[in-house]
Amino acid sequence: MDVVVVGAGAAGGIVAEQLALGGLRVVLLERGRWQKFSETRHDELRSQRTTVLGNAFGPDDEHYVRLAQMADGSFQKVLPSEGAYNNIAACVGGGTFSYGAMAWRYMERDFRMRSVYGAPEGSTLEDWPISYQDLEPFYTQAEWEIGVSGKAGANPFESPRQKPYPMPPLPFNREASVLAAAAKRIGLHAFPIPMAINSVPYQGRPACIACPHCVGFACEVNAKNSTAVTTIPRAIATKLCELRTGCVASRIVMNAGGQASGVEYFQDDKLYEQPCRVVVVSCSATESPRLLFNSATKLFPQGLGNNNGWVGRNLQGHAYSGALGIFEKDLFDGLGPAARVACCDFNHGLPDGLKGGAMLANEFICLPYLYARTVPPQVPRWGIRHKRFVRENYKRTVGVKGPVQEMPVFECRVELAPDLKDHWGIPSLRISGHRHPHDVEVGKFIAAKAEEWLKEAGAITTWKSVPGRGVSGGQHQAGTCRMGSDPKTSVVDRNCRIHDLDNVYVVDGSVHVNNGGFNPSLTIQAIAYWASAHMVKDMRGG
Amino acid sequence: MWYKSLERLANLSKLFRVNRREFLMVAIPLYAAGPLETFSREEARIVEALCDQVIPADDSPGAKQAGVLYYIDRQLAGPLQRFQPAYHEGLSRLRDACHDRTGRDFPDLPFPEQTKFLEDMETGHEERLISFWRMVIDHTMQGFYGSPAHGGNQNEVSWDMLGIRDVMEGHSH
Repeated sequence: MDVVVVGAGAAGGIVAEQLALGGLRVVLLERGRWQKFSETRHDELRSQRTTVLGNAFGPDDEHYVRLAQMADGSFQKVLPSEGAYNNIAACVGGGTFSYGAMAWRYMERDFRMRSVYGAPEGSTLEDWPISYQDLEPFYTQAEWEIGVSGKAGANPFESPRQKPYPMPPLPFNREASVLAAAAKRIGLHAFPIPMAINSVPYQGRPACIACPHCVGFACEVNAKNSTAVTTIPRAIATKLCELRTGCVASRIVMNAGGQASGVEYFQDDKLYEQPCRVVVVSCSATESPRLLFNSATKLFPQGLGNNNGWVGRNLQGHAYSGALGIFEKDLFDGLGPAARVACCDFNHGLPDGLKGGAMLANEFICLPYLYARTVPPQVPRWGIRHKRFVRENYKRTVGVKGPVQEMPVFECRVELAPDLKDHWGIPSLRISGHRHPHDVEVGKFIAAKAEEWLKEAGAITTWKSVPGRGVSGGQHQAGTCRMGSDPKTSVVDRNCRIHDLDNVYVVDGSVHVNNGGFNPSLTIQAIAYWASAHMVKDMRGG
Repeated sequence: MWYKSLERLANLSKLFRVNRREFLMVAIPLYAAGPLETFSREEARIVEALCDQVIPADDSPGAKQAGVLYYIDRQLAGPLQRFQPAYHEGLSRLRDACHDRTGRDFPDLPFPEQTKFLEDMETGHEERLISFWRMVIDHTMQGFYGSPAHGGNQNEVSWDMLGIRDVMEGHSH
């Protein structure tokens, strides 16, 4: 076998396909399984957003556990369905199987944040070793091969693109039309959100049917472009890629010469080893470091790629900030995915020395339970006044928020938890740290702008939401195996290969140096195409 | 799912010449009073009263009519099993606190006195009671606003109240 790719998610699903198309023999290991819409259907309490009755798309509460740091500094056991676990889905397609599918490119400045802004005290903010221009062809490739609907040229702040989107944008819903008109009046540049959702039939799958359940759910017509319905089936069709599901990787096997020689994994509680020439770790920004830690050898006692102590560091997500507003009339039209309009006026160039920023977009449809839990501060949490508030305002409430770019912090980290193991006896993770205070300052600015936009659109009551200093990660988790030129302060090189290893790559959000003011999936995928091109050249050429 | 049988039961309303909603408001609690999986009868009475304080009936049904008790009871025997001890302990603590304060069982207090008791509890210093109450509030919201597949939101009463029954049903759920 040439290559083992661990993790069939946003990145692994692409790497496996690209390597197989390049003529390499690939085994793609996935701890989850193929899932069908009919298994989970539309159940708010078991969606990827509201996991109160368990994670619909894995991992499950019976086999996995982590430690999370509490406000008082102590550590507590947390299950995958609890927020502090910082879960990312475990199934074929990974997070993309149930994601909201916003498909953003980061901006040119997002790749050289340190040069543009300088690092704030207490942050490891750095420039990437690759530029937007390096990645641009691969963003284009991701947009066309995964399938993104959008309107090229509609966002004046977007960095240059070679090619338009392969599909027109999804049409505005009622609230997006109202917000777009208001944006114009206050000088904001609103445009339709690029989405990895079919607006017209594409690659043999149908257009979106605008159902109200989108983010957090499997798509019932496969109009949502996960790797489970795009690249993974194409990888398998090459007959050079074998997907093995229900396979939990426990360690990368290293030979005496310090090279990887295979991957050890559990399937149905039995231990197997798959030998290979190259290992690609694509398990997410929490699970990829875990696999590297658990593969420690005499040569690499702190785990693979970790001789300088950077694996698991700089864990980031987004400091989501924004506002909700109540309007006089119903703006709810029940048309999903509902998140349809955005502006990038506040991604960069903020006043008062604020670094970075966020795009602002209207929210996905807020389903009833989540709505009932997000009433404004002046409304009681229970009783008749709460019930009346929900009844009177559910259809009149609109949310606008943005993924505030975080300043990387070395102390935000995942590491192995002492004495805590999962079902298979594989050491588990613990998560700790506090997000940078600067993120909260930017969050306040972004929330105020969201509120302004809502008020201009006609909101009569508004309230803001800005996160606190808790460690960030969640479904946008990134940063824990940073890409860089200097092996002392990064984990992988510009091609995603671990600095001091010949044949182990990390390809997923872990390699992000910073996480942009955008949902990260398209960037994760562009990097997967970029790294795959390098690997094919390297292995076929050599 | 037995809430589907409730749909069939609802058709009986025609026999009694009352409208469907009125009929269901009476019929649901009677029909739903099946065997409990987690709570004792005494506990169930307290839970039902607490849920009804979280979401009382007015022009539209409240937590009792939505069968939220059955949501919580069922989930505590399933995915929410880890909260079982907190319920048994919290309910016994609340029962005692209510006896101390009022000399009566919580479910026997008139509705406004129950409300007053809970409001005082919330602003008091009994941390364990406060966190128990917060948990009940959350689970009640889940049972009332979530999918009927889990035992609550019977006959989709909350979706009806919000005017989104068509939207939620329009596509298979």
